[in-house]
Amino acid sequence: MPIGSSPKQRKRITSIVFYATIIIFLALLPQLGLPVYPMHTLIGVFIWIIVASSLRLLDLSGQGSIGHAAFMAIGAYTSGILAKFLGWSPWITMPIGVLATGVIAFLVAIPFTRVRGIYFTMVSLFFGIGVLAVNQVFSKFTGGYSGIGSIPMLFGYNKTPYYYFCLALLVICLSIIYRMEHSRIGLTWKAVAQSHAVASSIGINEAWQRILCLGVSCCIAGIAGVAYAHYYSLLTQETFSFNTSINVFVYMTVGGPRYFAGPILGTAALILIPEQLRSLREYVPFIFAGILLIVLFLMPQGLAGLPDQFRQRFARSPKVKSLPAEEGVSKRAP
Amino acid sequence: MDTLITCSVNGLVLSAIYILVALGFSLQLSIMGIFNFAHGAIYMVGAYVTYGLSVGLGLNPWVSLLLSVILVGAFGLFVERFCFRPFQSQITRMIVMAIALILILQTAVEVTLGGVTRALPAFVPGILRVGFISVDAERIFTFCIGAVLMASMTYLIQKTKIGQQMLAVAQDAEGAALQGIDTHRTAATATVIACATAALSGSLMATIFSMNPFMGDNILLKAIQVTILSGIGSIGGILAGGLIMGLLNAFLPVLTEASIGELITILIVILILLIRPKGLFGYELF
Repeated sequence: MPIGSSPKQRKRITSIVFYATIIIFLALLPQLGLPVYPMHTLIGVFIWIIVASSLRLLDLSGQGSIGHAAFMAIGAYTSGILAKFLGWSPWITMPIGVLATGVIAFLVAIPFTRVRGIYFTMVSLFFGIGVLAVNQVFSKFTGGYSGIGSIPMLFGYNKTPYYYFCLALLVICLSIIYRMEHSRIGLTWKAVAQSHAVASSIGINEAWQRILCLGVSCCIAGIAGVAYAHYYSLLTQETFSFNTSINVFVYMTVGGPRYFAGPILGTAALILIPEQLRSLREYVPFIFAGILLIVLFLMPQGLAGLPDQFRQRFARSPKVKSLPAEEGVSKRAP
Repeated sequence: MDTLITCSVNGLVLSAIYILVALGFSLQLSIMGIFNFAHGAIYMVGAYVTYGLSVGLGLNPWVSLLLSVILVGAFGLFVERFCFRPFQSQITRMIVMAIALILILQTAVEVTLGGVTRALPAFVPGILRVGFISVDAERIFTFCIGAVLMASMTYLIQKTKIGQQMLAVAQDAEGAALQGIDTHRTAATATVIACATAALSGSLMATIFSMNPFMGDNILLKAIQVTILSGIGSIGGILAGGLIMGLLNAFLPVLTEASIGELITILIVILILLIRPKGLFGYELF
């Protein structure tokens, strides 16, 4: 059978071409003379897309988290402190930071498997706040509220290398997430999310799958964390606060947690649109809230669900695949 | 001895406020199944409305307190109808809705009054002296208001028809609807009560401490902690949980460093969630 003959394959090729075009376009941007400030904004967008996508990976297994920034913080602080106080090269401390995030995530995941659904969300919320409190207790190393500054940077003050570095990280992380989602593991996680009882009955080790999912997702968040630490070179209490976790959750939900493109679109829209309207100063949160309200009331599937929504509305034949009920923390019972 | 008494008084005052806010939060949670993250913002708005009426318009502080409670209660009606009802039983979208609400309320206050920290003049100025102990009269007043309100809320929920309807809806919304209970009206009543008590406790708290547009974030976390500690849907549990939380928050910063005290509180909450998710006195919601 020639390549591209079945509709499924054709759809896949289209999406690969689509994503490749976007990546090539983004890679060419600095060559086309992208000014410094937009480049800075885009680097931030790349980092937050990684975090939001990793949060969606966690959501696949039915674990909605509103403390995800805490895992980012673990990676960022580990790498930042090692690089600053021990004088190690960022290239060594960054893998250590990611590893530390993964190890801690695995360790906390073991007790966290006791709770499901909304209780997991609550545990994640308080884990996030607990990490901040630990940050306060060890303020000798972490700087407490004021944080640590002048963390060694990766490439000095030129932003172009950072741009390519973060773009590469983004592509790698998104490929990992995409492969995992569309492999057997991803299917297993979705099964666990839909019904843990049924999943257990067909031989899935529910607890292990959830631990694995949390571990992988938090490793990816840790990657974003170390990239953040060595780009901005300043970490404060506010950087990874409860608000940050909530923001990441909002990016994912507004984009549409059911779609791979959801967190990407959501993050891009919610960072770039308020950024464009920066001149409104203190009224910018209204813009942010306005986007949330528009998406909530008009786009039940999120931004990435718009094509499906239109297809459903303007469908001529009744044979159109109906959308499944919304996934997420709400549907499941422990 | 002096420290002990000061801490106890502070703990009791904190408990009263925590219980009031947590009661509203927990009512909404058990009746509508929503995590109202905007509850802290409504608490903040209550304080600012009182401030605006009493300091800005120069009304009598008592009248402005009453007006603030009524206005914010009415706002609760709006919130329930247009913000929460469309998203019932969709927790993900519900949380986003609450975030949008928080952003709008906080930014509105910040734009109109500025982000600076302000103080609300005390309703009952002066200091009470009993023997060698001296306490702010305002704190005693706050505690009394809190106690009276708690007693009347308990009465409302346990003895009156509307309270029984709330309990029925909290147990099983469909079953309650089959018995002819208007679940939407019950939810609206609960939201109005929650918003009104939040406004009252926000105003009281603003006289003891200070107020800024972000004062609600902290109290929201405390309300969630109390709700988790006591369990969902248990009024008596919230009284006990609020007392424990208030006393912990008053004594721990004196006994250890403030940051370690914070960490201990959070560890307790996480442990309760992991070991006994239904809390000390409640039942499991989902």
